[in-house]
Amino acid sequence: MKRRILHTPEGVRDIYNDECERKQILQDKLKQAIECYGYRIIETPTFEFFDIFGKEIGTTPSKDLYKFFDREGNTLALRPDITPSIARAAAKYFIEEDMPIRLYYAGNTFINNSSYQGRLKESTQLGAELIGDNSVDADAEILSMAVECLLASGLKEFQLSVGHSDFFQGLMESAGFDEEAMEELRELIANKNYFGVEEVISNREMEENLRELFHMLGNYYFSREEMAKARALAVDYPRILSAVVRLEELQKALEAYQIDDYVSYELGMVGNYQYYTGIIFAGYTFGSGEPIVKGGRYDKLLTYFGKQAASIGFAIVVDQLLAALGRQNAVMEMPGRGTLLVYAKGRLAEAVTQATQIRKSGGSVELIGMDSWRAREEYEAYAEQNRKENVIFLD
Amino acid sequence: MCENRYLTFALGKGRLAKQTLETFEKIGITCEEMKDKETRKLIFVNEALKLKFFLAKGPDVPTYVEYGAADIGVVGKDTILEEGRNLYEVLDLGFGACRMCVCGPSDAKERLKHHELIRVATKYPRIAKDYFYNKKHQTVEIIKLNGSIELAPIVGLSEVIVDIVETGSTLRENGLGVLEEVCPLSARMVVNQVSMKMEHERIAKLITDLKPVIGK
Repeated sequence: MKRRILHTPEGVRDIYNDECERKQILQDKLKQAIECYGYRIIETPTFEFFDIFGKEIGTTPSKDLYKFFDREGNTLALRPDITPSIARAAAKYFIEEDMPIRLYYAGNTFINNSSYQGRLKESTQLGAELIGDNSVDADAEILSMAVECLLASGLKEFQLSVGHSDFFQGLMESAGFDEEAMEELRELIANKNYFGVEEVISNREMEENLRELFHMLGNYYFSREEMAKARALAVDYPRILSAVVRLEELQKALEAYQIDDYVSYELGMVGNYQYYTGIIFAGYTFGSGEPIVKGGRYDKLLTYFGKQAASIGFAIVVDQLLAALGRQNAVMEMPGRGTLLVYAKGRLAEAVTQATQIRKSGGSVELIGMDSWRAREEYEAYAEQNRKENVIFLD
Repeated sequence: MCENRYLTFALGKGRLAKQTLETFEKIGITCEEMKDKETRKLIFVNEALKLKFFLAKGPDVPTYVEYGAADIGVVGKDTILEEGRNLYEVLDLGFGACRMCVCGPSDAKERLKHHELIRVATKYPRIAKDYFYNKKHQTVEIIKLNGSIELAPIVGLSEVIVDIVETGSTLRENGLGVLEEVCPLSARMVVNQVSMKMEHERIAKLITDLKPVIGK
C-alpha cells in the first residue's frame, strides 16, 4: 500500500538531477536570447477563469482543459497555453499604452488529452509576445528571435515554416464555401490530404486562377518566383493577395536578419489556434515528432479583453526541444558542481570553517560526514557521478 | 537535408504490407530481406537507398508515425479514422479497397430512420460514433467487439453493426445485408508532420514516383 503513493498520475512526471539541470540551462539560454531583444519577463497565474481559454478565444477545445470550481462556483481552468493570459494581462495593465509592449514568459501548460497515451499532459512553454505593433518589421523580429532561440539551444538543423492564415480564409471566401465545406477542407489541408482537397475542388465550379491557387496549398517550399506567381494569380482576390504580399514583404524584411536558411514559406499552413489572424509559423527539427516552436499573429485577441492591439508571438515547447537535442546527440556543456568535502566525525567545526570560506568566495561545497566503514573510493565515485570538480578529505 | 539519415517505414502486417512492397518494387524500391519467410528480424534495411522497414499491427502504425518513430506508414483508411492521430495523409494507394458500412437484417432498416435509440456492435467505436452522432444525428449505444461482428445481430446483442464490407458474402450467408454506407476505404500513405518538412525532398520524390504506378 505504501508503494502506491510513490506514483505520479498518468501524463505528469518528476524531472530531477542532470535532466532538470539541462532543462534549466536550456531555459536560461533561451531567456538570454530573448532578453537580448529588450523583452521583459511576466508571470501569469497557472489557472484563470475558464472564459480566458473559452471557445470565443479559440485556444484548446474545452474538453481538453482541466476545469474546476472556486468557492463561489466560478469555473476555472489550468492554462493550456499562455498567450491568452498575456493578452488579458496586457489589456489590463497597459490599456493606455500606445508604444509596443514586449513581454516574455516561461511556465507550465496543461492539456487533458487522454487519447494520446505516452504524451505528457504538463509541459513547459517559453515564449515571447510583441503587443501593439502590426508591422512586417514586428513579424520579422519575432521570427528572427525564434531562430536565435533555437540556435542558442545548440540546434543546428531546423526549419521554420511560415504561412498566412488569410490565404486559406481568402480561398474559402472567394470560392464561396459554406461553413461545413470549410471545416472539411480545413481538416483535409491540416492533414496534408491533397488528394482529398483535389476531390472536393474538382467537383466545384471556379475560376482557373483560383483553382491554381488551390493547387498551391500542396507546396512546402515556396521560392520567390512561385510567390510572385501566386501574387499574379491572386490579383482579383484581395484577401489572398494581401496574404501573399505580406509574406513577400516579410521575406524582404528577413533579409536584414540573414536567417533565410532557416525559414521556408508554405501557403497551405493552417494554425493550431483559431485566434491567429495573419502570419503563422511552426518550427521543426529531427528527433521530435511534433513542432518545437509554434507562433503567429493575433490581431483580434486583445480586442476581446478591451484593448485594440495587433500582436504577434511564439512559444517554444521546451520539453520537446530538450528531447530533440538529446536525440540529436547535441553536446550541452554542463558546469562542474564544486567541491565535495568529506570530514571525519568529530571534525565538523573545521569542515564548516573551510566550507564557509569557499562558499563566501562564491564556490559550492557539499558536506558529508565520513562513515568509518566506507572506503575512500566510494566517496570519490560519488563525486565523479555528481560532477564534483574536486574532493577534499578531512580525516 | 541530412544525407546519412534513414527513412523509416511502418507497414501494416499482412496483405497490406505485401501489396505495398509490390507497389514499391515498381518504382525501384526493394527490400530483399523482407521476402525471406523464415526470418525473425524485426527491422529490414535497404542500405543502398538508406531505407528501413518494419512491420506493425495495423492500429499501431499511426502511433509509430505520429511520434516520429517511423517517418512514413502504410495503413488502411479505417485505422486512420479510428485512431484519429495527428499525421499527414498524403496518398491514396488504391489497393485494399472496400467500404465501411452499417449492416444488419433487412427489418433493421426501419430502425435507422426514426432517431430511436438502437444498439450498434462494432470493432470501430470511433467511426460508428462519429457516423451516428454527427452525420445521422441518431443517439445510439455502441458495443465494442473484437471480431466476428456479424454474430451480434444474429444472437440479439445489437440491432445493427458497423463493419468493413469487401464482397458481402459473409453477410449474405448469415442473412444480413448492407443497410447504409459510411465511407469508402483503401490503403493510405501517412507521413509524420516533422518528417514531411525535414525530409521533404525524399518524401516528395517518393510521392511523385508512386502516383503514376498506382494508376490515379
